[in-house]
Amino acid sequence: MGYRFEFSNLIGEWDALWSITRGRQVHMSDSVIDVRGLCKRYPPNITAVDDISFSIERGRIYSILGPNGAGKTTTVEILEGLRVPTSGEVTVLGSDALRNYGHIRKKVGVLPQNFEPFDLLTPFEAVKYWSDLFDIPKTRIDIDRLLDEVGLSDRKKVMSKKLSGGEKRKLGIALSMVNDPELLFLDEPTTGLDPKARRDLWELIEKAKKRGATIVLTTHYLDEVEKLADDVAIMFNGKILVSGSPGELVSRYGSKTSIVLRGVGSAGMRELSCRGISSTEKNGDVTVSVSNPSELRAMFAKLSSIPIDIEEIYTRRDTLEDVFLNLVGAKMDEGVLQK
Amino acid sequence: MNRILSDALSFGRQYIRTKVGAFFTFIFPLLLIMLFGAVFSGGDGGGISLHVQNMDDGPYSVALMDALNSTGYFEIHLIDRSSDIQEYISENSLSIAAFIPSNFTASILIDTHIDVILYLDHSKSSSQIAAGVFQAVIAQMNYDLSGSESIIGFATQNPGSDELTPYDFFLPGFVGLTVMITAMYFMTSMCAEYRSRGYFKLLATTGLKKSDWLVSKFLFNSVLLIASLLVTFAVAMLVFDLNAVLTPLSLILVIGGAFLFTSLGMLLGTIVKDPESGSAISNAIGFPMMFLSGSFWDLDSMPEYMQMISKAMPLTYLNDGLRDTMIFGNETSALVNLAIIVLMGMVFFVLASRLMSWKEK
Ligand SMILES: Nc1ncnc2c1ncn2[C@@H]1O[C@H](COP(=O)(O)OP(=O)(O)O)[C@@H](O)[C@H]1O
Ligand SMILES: [Mg+2]
Repeated sequence: MGYRFEFSNLIGEWDALWSITRGRQVHMSDSVIDVRGLCKRYPPNITAVDDISFSIERGRIYSILGPNGAGKTTTVEILEGLRVPTSGEVTVLGSDALRNYGHIRKKVGVLPQNFEPFDLLTPFEAVKYWSDLFDIPKTRIDIDRLLDEVGLSDRKKVMSKKLSGGEKRKLGIALSMVNDPELLFLDEPTTGLDPKARRDLWELIEKAKKRGATIVLTTHYLDEVEKLADDVAIMFNGKILVSGSPGELVSRYGSKTSIVLRGVGSAGMRELSCRGISSTEKNGDVTVSVSNPSELRAMFAKLSSIPIDIEEIYTRRDTLEDVFLNLVGAKMDEGVLQK
Repeated sequence: MNRILSDALSFGRQYIRTKVGAFFTFIFPLLLIMLFGAVFSGGDGGGISLHVQNMDDGPYSVALMDALNSTGYFEIHLIDRSSDIQEYISENSLSIAAFIPSNFTASILIDTHIDVILYLDHSKSSSQIAAGVFQAVIAQMNYDLSGSESIIGFATQNPGSDELTPYDFFLPGFVGLTVMITAMYFMTSMCAEYRSRGYFKLLATTGLKKSDWLVSKFLFNSVLLIASLLVTFAVAMLVFDLNAVLTPLSLILVIGGAFLFTSLGMLLGTIVKDPESGSAISNAIGFPMMFLSGSFWDLDSMPEYMQMISKAMPLTYLNDGLRDTMIFGNETSALVNLAIIVLMGMVFFVLASRLMSWKEK
């Protein structure tokens, strides 16, 4: 197959060139999304996105983690070309997303938050319809295979309104993938689903990544980020507090490793403080933080020798949850911060 | 094109599955036409005022007025014998009045042709219908008198060649009304639903153009409304003694109306946020239009300023055009109305595709 001239390519390249001449960096090869100084204000005075900058590398799952109202949907919908920012620069797949989204649209898949399928179409009909809207030739799409991939092959002739919550979400993912997108946006794909359905969707998302798609995933579930994300940005009040791989964040912002003495209570805590060891207590469990991993073994031995009744003694590494708690100052349950 | 067709087909599939839609497109107009048929054959109320100056003292003029009265279409008012009928007509801005000469009964008794004079304002379509009904009554009377010969005539030009009944008048009105309700209400409420369920956002991710989406809905509505017109007409033919004809131009007018009201519906849909405001706004536009566009009754029987308002209502042109072609055979006038409809439709189409936003601000 020879080179097919496409006007949209020309525009894309011109756009990239233009960006360079204006001194903006464009990583056509490794960065799929580049965001600089993005702001979004809603009238009268809500600042939903407050001057954020980040970039997303090709082939990775980039998760935006934050409670309800953090500004996640606003951010991704700007990246999807569905909302207009107040200020900032956004490059998606090498093109200026604020000016000409038209020709990148074909390479992008979107699962909006709270996706609702068309009630009176079956999954098969819906996928067929969607592939027509994307102008995908019949020879280039195998609807049965796509439905099989998302696990709906035995439900494809059922009216969509009769599907379960998880099945509806799977249909939404099937629709977002009809154009075999390079870049896939999933806005809270598992919110409100039961654990089984969530695991199914996780598997699906991992499959999509294996096919080479870059995935932007918003969520308020920490376990989801730990399971799926290559990179995570913790978003709160319109700002990105920190970003990096989950492991990096844990080692940078977690209080390292701790030793937990279960059930020793405040009496145990007093024993420790007599020996000059500081600790914290919660629900009868006393936790001693070890800042330097080399001290872990010695501290463990020291604690084991203290003459108090210990139900259990174990070491625990901080998780993303602790990082979140440290940074935001509250835990999160179903997206709602707990006082 | 593939996108538009696929969108229209998918939509049609969902429409058929709703069943409620079918009620409004097919059953509702039939129910309305039956209802109005019953009201008019009941003979009380409705219709238009017919002012008659009766100079005859004999029984036949009384019989004629009884016959006119019993159509239920006319409400008879007597003009005083002493007044000058021409002056009376202009003073009261009548579009129709009748004059029964003093030798009316006498002429009939000696089998001599006698004309009733019908004063008609030809510029108004309603007066032509009235003439049709009037003529029908006279024809019936002639038949009763002599079997075939026409003794009574009337001295004005015959606008139509067939006898017209109130049903003939109302059928095009119902067709116009159905076009408006189906296309406009439907489209506005659909925009509301699409917005609140996030379908617009979903569609925006496919790159489908808003104008393509609108064209698809227009195609769908056209097919639906042509089908509805055929069904309504067939039933009306079976149930009523109908003289209105289904002309090719009437089908084109229905398609033009579908274009206009689908576009207007989407234009209204640009400002609706939820289903409640959707029906509120289409009622705000639809109700006045229903009553001020001559769907149910004659615009000429309304005050002058109301008639001015009706000129601004798109439905007026559809009703007029349909009556022109279906009952008067006046294709030229129907084409003028069609042109107005298409022009208005194009304005709405452009505004709707431009102003509609599938994104959030
Ligand atoms: N269309 C809108 N108009 C006004 N305010 C909005 C709009 N969309 C979102 N917001 C506000 O912006 C903030 C961020 O919302 P959103 O981006 O939806 O956050 P998240 O997706 O993280 O829950 C919230 O305070 C929300 O109320
Ligand atoms: Mg959100």
